[in-house]
Amino acid sequence: MLPKFSHLRPATLREALAALDASDARIHGGGTDLVGCLRDRVFTTERVVSLSAIPELRGIAATGDGGLRIGATATLTEIAGHPAIADRFTAIADAARVVASPQLRNQGTIAGNLCQKPRCWYYRGDFHCLRKGGELCYAYEGENQHHCIFGGDLCYIVHPSDTAPALAALGAVCRVSSASATRSVPVDRLHVPPSVDPRRETVLEPDEVVTELVLPAPPAGLRSSYLKIRSRNAWDFALAGVALALVFDGDIVRSARVFLSGAAPVPWRSTAVEAAITGQALDAATIAAAASAAVAGAEPLSGNAYKLALFEGLVAGQLEAIRG
Amino acid sequence: MTERTDYHIGGTPPETPGNDAAAGPWPATTVVGSRQPRIDAYERVSGTAVYPHDVSLPGMLHGAILRCPHAHARVLAVDTAAAEKMPGVAAVITAATPGADIPWYERDGGFASTLFDPHCRHQGEEVAAVAAETPLQAVDAIRAIRVTYEELPFVVDDTAALAPGAPAIHDGGNLIGEPRVRSRGDIAAGFAEAEVVVEGVYRTSCQIHAPMEPHGSVARWDGNRLTVWDSTQGVYDVQERLAAALELPRSSVRVIGPYMGGGFGSKLETGKYTVIATLLARMTARPVKIFLPREDCFTSTGNRPANTMTIKIGAKADGTLTAIEYASSGSGGAYFGDAGTGALPAYLYQVANLHAIDTTVHTNAGKARPMRAPGVPQAAWALEQAMDELAAKLGLDPLELRLRNIPATLQAGPGLPFTSQHLRECLVKGAEAFGWAEAVARPPDEGHLRRGVGLAAGMWFYSGGPPSTVVVKLHADGSANLNMGASDIGCGTKTWAAMIVAEELGVPLEQIQVEHADTATTQYATSSGGSKTVPSDSPAVLAAARSVKHQLIGFAAEQLGVPADDLVYADLALTSRSDPSKTLKVTEIGMLGRRGVVVGTGYREPNPEGSFTAPTCAQFCEVEVDTRTGGLRILRFLGAHDSGRVLNRLTFDNQVFGGMAMGIGLGVTEERVLDRQTGRMVNANLHDYKIPTMLDVAGDHACLPIDEPDHAFNTTGAKGLGEPATIPTAAAVGNAVARALGVRISDAPLTPRRILDALAAQRKEA
Amino acid sequence: MAKKKPADHAAGSGVTRRGFLGSVGAGAVAAATGAASRAEAVPEITDPEEMVAVALTINGRRHRLLVEPRWTLLFVLRERLCLTGSKAGCERGECGSCTVLVDDEPRYACLTLAVEAEGREITTVEGLLVGEELGDVQRAFAEHDAFQCGYCTPGQVVAAEGLLRANPRPTEAEIRTGMSGNLCRCGAYAHIVKAVADAADGRKTGGGS
Repeated sequence: MLPKFSHLRPATLREALAALDASDARIHGGGTDLVGCLRDRVFTTERVVSLSAIPELRGIAATGDGGLRIGATATLTEIAGHPAIADRFTAIADAARVVASPQLRNQGTIAGNLCQKPRCWYYRGDFHCLRKGGELCYAYEGENQHHCIFGGDLCYIVHPSDTAPALAALGAVCRVSSASATRSVPVDRLHVPPSVDPRRETVLEPDEVVTELVLPAPPAGLRSSYLKIRSRNAWDFALAGVALALVFDGDIVRSARVFLSGAAPVPWRSTAVEAAITGQALDAATIAAAASAAVAGAEPLSGNAYKLALFEGLVAGQLEAIRG
Repeated sequence: MTERTDYHIGGTPPETPGNDAAAGPWPATTVVGSRQPRIDAYERVSGTAVYPHDVSLPGMLHGAILRCPHAHARVLAVDTAAAEKMPGVAAVITAATPGADIPWYERDGGFASTLFDPHCRHQGEEVAAVAAETPLQAVDAIRAIRVTYEELPFVVDDTAALAPGAPAIHDGGNLIGEPRVRSRGDIAAGFAEAEVVVEGVYRTSCQIHAPMEPHGSVARWDGNRLTVWDSTQGVYDVQERLAAALELPRSSVRVIGPYMGGGFGSKLETGKYTVIATLLARMTARPVKIFLPREDCFTSTGNRPANTMTIKIGAKADGTLTAIEYASSGSGGAYFGDAGTGALPAYLYQVANLHAIDTTVHTNAGKARPMRAPGVPQAAWALEQAMDELAAKLGLDPLELRLRNIPATLQAGPGLPFTSQHLRECLVKGAEAFGWAEAVARPPDEGHLRRGVGLAAGMWFYSGGPPSTVVVKLHADGSANLNMGASDIGCGTKTWAAMIVAEELGVPLEQIQVEHADTATTQYATSSGGSKTVPSDSPAVLAAARSVKHQLIGFAAEQLGVPADDLVYADLALTSRSDPSKTLKVTEIGMLGRRGVVVGTGYREPNPEGSFTAPTCAQFCEVEVDTRTGGLRILRFLGAHDSGRVLNRLTFDNQVFGGMAMGIGLGVTEERVLDRQTGRMVNANLHDYKIPTMLDVAGDHACLPIDEPDHAFNTTGAKGLGEPATIPTAAAVGNAVARALGVRISDAPLTPRRILDALAAQRKEA
Repeated sequence: MAKKKPADHAAGSGVTRRGFLGSVGAGAVAAATGAASRAEAVPEITDPEEMVAVALTINGRRHRLLVEPRWTLLFVLRERLCLTGSKAGCERGECGSCTVLVDDEPRYACLTLAVEAEGREITTVEGLLVGEELGDVQRAFAEHDAFQCGYCTPGQVVAAEGLLRANPRPTEAEIRTGMSGNLCRCGAYAHIVKAVADAADGRKTGGGS
C-alpha cells in the first residue's frame, strides 16, 4: 500500500522540468523502481512527476556519426530487441535482456535502470541505515553476502544496474536537462561512490532529468558483451557481472573498457583488467592474469569472499567467449 | 516404543461409522487412473474462481495489523489517538480493548500468550489492528499508531538459544519439550560390528511456505452467527478454533473456503488475523476483511525450520547397515513449533541399531509450522547424502547400497508390517527409466562445466484415515452431486473425487458437481495436509457412491422382479445376468424418479490394526555445475513414486513435479536470512527470498508411478503423494552436485556462494 | 586504501544504533508525516481533493473513474471494478500474479499506477475469454493441468498471452524465459511450458484467437 502523493504527467519535457523546478518531486519513468521504493517506504514524496507521456524522451535511432541515441524512456524490452543494438552495441542488449523479469523489462526504462535505488536489503527494508539518513551500514557487520568487494566506504551496497556497466563500457553519455540548463554526463561519471557521498547515488540534482543516452560510433574491431551471475536463474540482480568493450586488431586487444556489476557501490571500472589485456592476444596466460587482476585489491566482507572466485571465473569465461 | 501414526493431532483416535454397502476392490478402472483435466479448470484459468482474497461483501471494511518490528520487545504503551481520527477509520483494537484478551498458542493444556501479547517474542507479533473503509486507509492508520517498546535481548541462533545466559523466551527456558529419542538395538555394538563408518554434519536453511495467496480472512456477523471466508487448508479446524476463541457453539460458526491459493502446511493453523477480523467486525457491525501483506506472511505465518543434523552410519563391507546414530536440532520459533526430523533415519532403511534424537528450541523468530513433509526433506538431505558417502567408501553404486537395505517392516516396537511398500521398485524402475547405470558410468567432465547425477529415496509417515464423511446425491436425470468437507489446496481433490463417482456409477464427469470446504453445507472432513486427503477421503467417496449403487440395485431388482444379486450395474444401467433382456436404465428406475434423488452416505473406515502405511519414492536428477561461477543448472529430474493407486495421472504428475520444484527451493535457492544484529528478517519479500522460477526447475521432468493399489490399507488403494514428492528432491540434487564436483557440500541451499566456497576449500586441500 | 568503517562514522556523530532502535516503532515515522493536521477535520471517508479523473480502457470497455494517484492499476481492477481475476500476491512486483497486458505487453498491475494506465489498452484474464468460452491459452492451461491451486494462474495465462502476441512461435527456451516473471509456488512449471507450447502450436495452425 502506497503513501499519498500527487501525480503530474506532463506531455512535454518543458512542463516536466518546470514542475521539477517548482517542487520537491520524484521522477516516474517506468515506475518499477519508484513504486517499489514508495511501497517499502524507502522514501516518501509529496509529488510524482511522470515522464511516461513525453514523446521526445522515447525512441531509439541512429545518429549521423554512426552512433546511437536511446531515449530515456525507451524500455528495456525495446533495447533488448533492437537489431542495431544487438549487432553493434552487443553489451547493452546482453544487459537489457537479463534485467529482472519480462514484465519489468516491458515497463522499466533505460534511464530508470541507470538511476535506480540500491537493492541492499537493509536499505530496502525497515532499517534506518546510513544511506537513508541513519548512522550506520548494517551490512558491514551483518548479512553481507550480496554486498561489495570494492569501493565500500561507510556504505557497502552494490550498484544494482546491469545496463550501467554495459553503457559505461561503450562510452555512453547521458544528456541531462533541468529547467535552466542542459549538460552531458558520461555514464561512467554518473554514479557517486560513498566515499564522496554515501547518501546519494548519482550526480543528478533533484530537478534534473536524463533525456537521452548517446553512444559514440563503434570503432572498427569493437566487440562487446555483458554477463551476470545470479543466485536465481531469472528475476534476480547480479551477484557478479562484467561488461567488456574491447577493440581488437586481429587477435590483439588494442583498447579495452571493462566494468563490473555486483562488485562496488557504483559500476566498477576495472582498470587492472584493462591493463592486463591491452596490447595482448587473449591467450590462456593473459586471460589468467586478467582474471586475477579483476580481484586484485578487493576487500571482501565477512560473507562475500566467494565473489573473488566468482569474478575471476566470470572474467576468464567472458574473455574466452569474446575472443571467439 | 511405537511410532505415532495419527492423522489428527491429540485426543482420542477418530473414527466414522461403518458403511452399509460391501466394498471390494475395483476389478479394472476406466476413469480412475486416466489423465483428466480438473473439473474446476474453467474457473481457475478464466479468473472466475472466487478466492477468499477476492471476496467483497456489502459494507465491508478492510483491516490491517500493526506488528512489532523488533525481535524481542515489551510493549509499554500504545497510543491510537491519531489513528482513530484518521479518514475512513472505523475501529482500532489493541490489547487494552475489552474482549481482545483471547488466549493464544497452546501449551501443556493451557495457553502461553494472548492475541495482542505485550511481550513480543519475535518480529511480526501482533500489537494492534485497524478497520477502515479502504485497505489504504487501514494501512495509513496503523502507521499512525505510536507504540513505545522496551527492547529486550534476543536470540535467533539455535545453538545460542541453549547457551547459559541466553534470553529466556518463555518461563522455563528455551528447550521446547523434552528431546525426542527413537532408539532400538545396541548402538555401540552396531558400530563395533561395522567395517565402514561415515560421519557428517549437514544443515538446511529455514524455508518459508510462501503460498501465492497471502493469508487472510473475511468475517461477517449476523447477530451471534459468524461467517468466515478463509484461505485455509481445513474449514473444520478453523471452525473449531474460532468457536473456542469466541466461546460460540460450533454450529454458529460457518467457515467457507472452497478455493484457496496454496498453503503447504502454513494454512493448517488458524490465524490470529482471522480472530482479529471477527473482533473488528463485531466492533463495527460490518464485515471486515484482513489479508496480510506479503512481508507479514514471511515473519508471522510459519516456516520449515533450519536444521543441523549430525549423522553417523556404520555398515559391513557388503553394504549391510549395522548402526545409525543421528542427532537433529532446530528451532520451533518463539512458540511451540516442532523441528524434529528423526523419523526418516529411523525407518527408511533396515538397521538393527539406531539412536536418533531431536531437539527443538525457542528462538526469537516466527513459529515453525508443518511444511510439506515436516522434517523429512531436511532429514533426507542428511541421510541420503551420508548414504552416498557410505557408498563411495564401500565402493558400491549408491543405488545398490540402498537396494541392500530396504526395510522389511516399519522398525518401531516389534516391527509393523507395511500394508504395501514398493521402495525397491521405485529405485529399480526409476533407475532404469532414468538411465542411471549409463549416467554413472560416464567419465567425469574435464572443463569448467561438470555434469553429475544423483538419486535419493524417501518415505512418508502419515497415512491418513478416519474420520471422513461424504455424501453423493444421484438425481433422477442421472447426474450427481458430491458433497465433502475437504479443501482442495491445489492437489485436484474435487477432480479425483468426481472421478471415483464417475468410475463407480458411470455418471459422466461433466455431470458431477462437487460441493466442498464449507462447514455449514458440506460433510465433516479433517484438514487437507500431510498427504492424507486422498487416503482419508477417497474411500469415503467410494463408499458413498457404492451406497447409491446399492440402493439403485435394490430399486431395480424390485422393478424388474429379479434378485438384487442377479443385477449387473454398468454404464448407468442395470441388467439381469440370467436374463439380459431384463434391463433398466438408471433414469428409468421408478423409485428414483419418485424420490427425485437417491442419497448415499460414505464413511472412511478404520485403518487395519497392526500395520503401517508409508508411501515411498526415489528421485533421480542430473545437474550441471559451472565451477567458474558456482552456477547450477538442473538438467532433468525423474520421480518414481509408490503412492498406491494413481487416481488421476495428470494431477499425479503435476504433484510430483511441484514437489520437485519446492525441493529445489530447499536445496538450491531458498533461505530465510535473519540479521544477526537485530534479529529481523532481511529478506521478507519474494525478491530477496528466492522461490524457484521456471528457469530454476529441471529442464526435463519425468514421473514414473509404481501404481500398485494398496488394498490392505483402504478400499481405493490410494496412498498420499504431496509430501513424498518433495522429500528426496534436495538430497538428490546434493548427491548430483557432489558427484559432479567431487566435493560434498553439506549445507543447503547450494547457492553460487556455497559452491564456490566449497571449491575453494577443495583447491586448498589439493 | 584508508577505508572508514561504519562504526567510525557512528561514533563521530554520537548516535548509536541502540539509541535509534529504541526510538522508532513501525508507526512512529508515519505518524510524523501528516496525520496530525487532519485531527480536527470532520472525518472524511475519501478526500475528493485528492482524487483525479482517469479514463481507463479495460478489456475493450472504457471506464471513467476518480482515483487517488497512489492507487495502483491492480487496486482499481480488484477493488473498484471487481475484476478479481488479477490476483494480489505481493503488491511489489515480485510474484507475477497480477500480470495484465498493457498495449499487448505483460506488466505487473501492482507496480503500475492507475493514473499511468490512462490511454493504454488494458487486458486482464477476464478479457481473454471469448464470451463464456475459454481463450486458446486458457484452454491449453486447462487441458495440460498447468496449475495447481490456481492463484498465480491468471497472471501466468496473461503472461503467456503476451509472450505469444510478441513471439507467436517461441522455442521452448523462449517460453521458459518469457514465463520467468511469474512465480508458481505449487511448481506447475513443467505443465505450464507444455500448455504455452501447445497454445503456440494452435495459433501456428490457425486455431488461435
